[in-house]
Amino acid sequence: MTAASLNNSPAAWSSLTQTGRQLAQWRHWPRERRDTLFVLAVIGWTILPHVDHLAWWCSAITALILLWRAHLALHDGPLPGRWPVLAVMLLATGLTWWHERTLLGREAGVTMLVVLMGLKTLELRARRDALVVFFLGFFLALMQCLYSQSLLTALGMLVSSWGLLTAQVLSNMPVAKPTLWRAGAIAARSALLGLPLMVVLFVLFPRFGPLWGLPQDAMGRTGLSGTLRMGGVAELANDESIAFRVRFDGAKVTPPAEALYFRGPVLTHFDGLEWFPSLAGAIGPRRGRPQPPELRLLGAPLRYELLLEPIRLPLLPLLEATTERGGGDEGPDTLASQLPDWGLWQGNDLQWHTDRIVGERLRIRTQAWLRFELGPDRASAALGEDLALPIGFNPRTIAWAQQTRQSLPDADARTLVGAVLATIRQSPFVYTLQPGDYSGRDAIDDFWLARRQGFCEHFATAFVVVMRAMGVPARVVTGYQGAAPVDDDGWRVVRQSDAHAWAEYWQPGNGWIRADPTAAVAPDRVRNGRTLTAPRGLMAGALNRVSPEMALRLRLAWELLDNRWNQWVMGYSRASQFRLLQSLGVPQPDWTDVARLLVGLLSSVAVAGAAWAWWDRRRQDPWQRLHGRVVARLQRAGIPALLHHGPRSLATLLRLHRGAGADGAALALEALDSLRYAAGGQPLPGRRWWPEFLRLTQGLLNLPAPAADPGLAARSG
Amino acid sequence: MLNRLQRWLETRLKRQDSQTLTQRNVYILPTKAGWVFLATLMVMLVAAINYQLNLGFGLTFLLGGSALVSMHQTHANLRGLTLHLKPPPPVFAGEPATLEIVLTSPGGPRSGIGLGLAEGRRQGMAWCDVPAHGDSGAKLRFVPPRRGLHHLPTLVADTNFPLGLFRAWTVWRPLAQVLVYPAPEHPALPLPVALSTSGTDRPGRVGAGGEFDGVRAWRRGDALRQVVWKKVARTGELVSRDTSASSTHQLVLDYAQAGPAGDVEARLRRLAAWVLAAERLGLRFGLKLPDHELAAADGELQRRTALQALALWRMPSPTP
Repeated sequence: MTAASLNNSPAAWSSLTQTGRQLAQWRHWPRERRDTLFVLAVIGWTILPHVDHLAWWCSAITALILLWRAHLALHDGPLPGRWPVLAVMLLATGLTWWHERTLLGREAGVTMLVVLMGLKTLELRARRDALVVFFLGFFLALMQCLYSQSLLTALGMLVSSWGLLTAQVLSNMPVAKPTLWRAGAIAARSALLGLPLMVVLFVLFPRFGPLWGLPQDAMGRTGLSGTLRMGGVAELANDESIAFRVRFDGAKVTPPAEALYFRGPVLTHFDGLEWFPSLAGAIGPRRGRPQPPELRLLGAPLRYELLLEPIRLPLLPLLEATTERGGGDEGPDTLASQLPDWGLWQGNDLQWHTDRIVGERLRIRTQAWLRFELGPDRASAALGEDLALPIGFNPRTIAWAQQTRQSLPDADARTLVGAVLATIRQSPFVYTLQPGDYSGRDAIDDFWLARRQGFCEHFATAFVVVMRAMGVPARVVTGYQGAAPVDDDGWRVVRQSDAHAWAEYWQPGNGWIRADPTAAVAPDRVRNGRTLTAPRGLMAGALNRVSPEMALRLRLAWELLDNRWNQWVMGYSRASQFRLLQSLGVPQPDWTDVARLLVGLLSSVAVAGAAWAWWDRRRQDPWQRLHGRVVARLQRAGIPALLHHGPRSLATLLRLHRGAGADGAALALEALDSLRYAAGGQPLPGRRWWPEFLRLTQGLLNLPAPAADPGLAARSG
Repeated sequence: MLNRLQRWLETRLKRQDSQTLTQRNVYILPTKAGWVFLATLMVMLVAAINYQLNLGFGLTFLLGGSALVSMHQTHANLRGLTLHLKPPPPVFAGEPATLEIVLTSPGGPRSGIGLGLAEGRRQGMAWCDVPAHGDSGAKLRFVPPRRGLHHLPTLVADTNFPLGLFRAWTVWRPLAQVLVYPAPEHPALPLPVALSTSGTDRPGRVGAGGEFDGVRAWRRGDALRQVVWKKVARTGELVSRDTSASSTHQLVLDYAQAGPAGDVEARLRRLAAWVLAAERLGLRFGLKLPDHELAAADGELQRRTALQALALWRMPSPTP
């Protein structure tokens, strides 16, 4: 039952009340219905964390499908045929193509997976169909950690996996109607028993670099990313987690926040909707020698130390302008020597690239020149890319820029920049974190000439478009700006919310010059490093009102827990592995040692398992073993003893065949019998019994063989 | 080829009516779902490596650990169980025979155990759970091909519990045999006319006012229809017709009379139908097969003996 199809007609009303009645009787649901609804709930839970990152139509389609499937399950309705399902799949594929411009890549992949998962529930007829859903579900659960790896995500993921495993257990319990609780306990038991293996693998699985180059969109859109689209930085600004900490040598001359620009990706190429790095700038060592930046350093270097959290970007956000040239003897070690076996290079746009995502905490000591001149001082063909504007986008802004340019015929780049910044200052531009939706085609027209509400990203991109339209080479630079005041240990914290976008324009003779249009509208943003706070969540806000003290304590406790999690689990890295190995006595570990330890450990466990299986195979009840030995002994003495004879019958047989000569052995057997079977008896005789029995029967073996063939007698007896 | 190999492997198994499952006779292999799961784990691992996701490693290894544990759990779900077959009652050809199997668990509870015929390939499996230190029964049906004494088909017990990633199974050749009577002809022809064995044609009754020929006191085991109710009503004494005396008209079901020559099975089927009809009417009857003769008698035992003779009868080889 969907809200859309609900109107006031009596039919819909009765259907709704029927649904309500069905829901009220959930304890009496038939098994098929209960299992289906459980699987649907688990799927919903697994998809939920993705909703924030999916296109709205994808979430809507999936939610509708899941609700409809639940409705069918509640009313035992027939499942749709193949064609409607195919039609929805085609629609989703088309929408994905329209929205993402590709079907490959992560975003498109997750979108398609989510829709596919929803559609698969419409084919949940047999239990076997459920398997596909489980495997898709595990994969979607994994995809959650591309967005976040926090403790909360981990807990949500754990619930997802538990639910999926429970559903899988349920599908393998065909008899009667096992309770969800019981199936859940069985699933949890499997997982808990597998925990030691998981811990061993987690600790010792070698952390080597990426297997192949990451696809373009792998850098993600949360946090800083390699691309920029309206709205990208708004998400980031809500994220108060720490990106890195920075400490300057000689704390007395600590630079002001407005001088601290940490450089990330430089975005040159604009396709009308999205900004990309220049193709030329992205050349790494794998594809040829990177061009070093043309830098003219002014003044003295500023030494600093950077403690980088796992920011999950393939770059080092270093201070402008960090370079290894001109360090002299006193300069710190090169970055390459501080990060052995990393691939590091600096592009000619001054950005520091890495060959892998920074997934661990890094400590870097280096130096920067706050005053510098960058880039070619004479115009070259390479600047053409910094002037290009896509045809047909934002015509009004371009017209506005050209008009402004004509009113200042003799101005150079610097003057034009001053004029545009003055326009920003004087016009009713508003700096806000909730500027509304700018996803239209001519977003910059909308921002620059109509709504005039936005944050750094809007100002920077609009500024660059305006400059280019005026014929001034310009580009967008993303990174972090500002830092918190010095703490007791001399560190200054830079949070994800300090992510920033600014602009650079090119002036003949001076090269690239930074211009921060955001400073023109919200100087505080740049000067204090203080961002606007995003509105709090409903829960947190309510708690805060009721009991601020408790809210604070809760938050502190949670932060402590989260910090531990980050430090011990998420921060676990190759370096931690090496430290572990060193503490185990390996002098200079590398990743092959880790792998060897892992393989050794696993194979010894496997050998132990095989040994147990071998032992279990031959394991026999001790009583049966003793009994078998007694029978074999008697058979060798020519007594027709059989395995099903008890000790007392064996004694009778012995007397029958050997008379008084075998009395001792017969008595021993009778003693054995009463020992085993008498009230309060023991399961086994003492250790002495068997040697004693051997001695007693020794004489019997030496006697001449009886008349009958013992083998025959044994078989026929 | 594979089938022949499988049959050869099967013939190497000892036939027994009770089988305890140990390491020696429980086999285990990944299911198709298991392989797909492995592929999923591999993709997840690659994703975790490429994106350097510690949480991804954690999830992948958690699932991997659970899968490995589930392998042991699947095996342990069968290991230790004792399967016991109750001797199956005889059936008529074409009717399904019911095999009753009792599963006993010496330890913990077992779930989702399927029993089926080895030939059936998981079709018509009977599923059951076994409680801890208890037993539970499962019923299997199979249709024996023709009359005679047949070995029971090879049985398979298997389980996918708990995660369905592995399938553990055991192959069991029961020792018991099932006796299959010929399928009675349907619709049945009327019984042949009773023959007089003594030669003289003595009537069943003497003159009017006389007694029934042969009445005796009621004995345990006499059918209700043998009771002479009129006399009971008159005298209050329970008496039965003395069938041994009354059957001077001896009914002999003769192979030679049971249809056209040549079609052996058709004759046997008609004889089977006659045996059933005769027993239903409470008649004394004998059976005459070439090479085999059954003296006249009545009752349930006679019916079984006769049907068994029909089931096992073979055309004697022609004497030279």
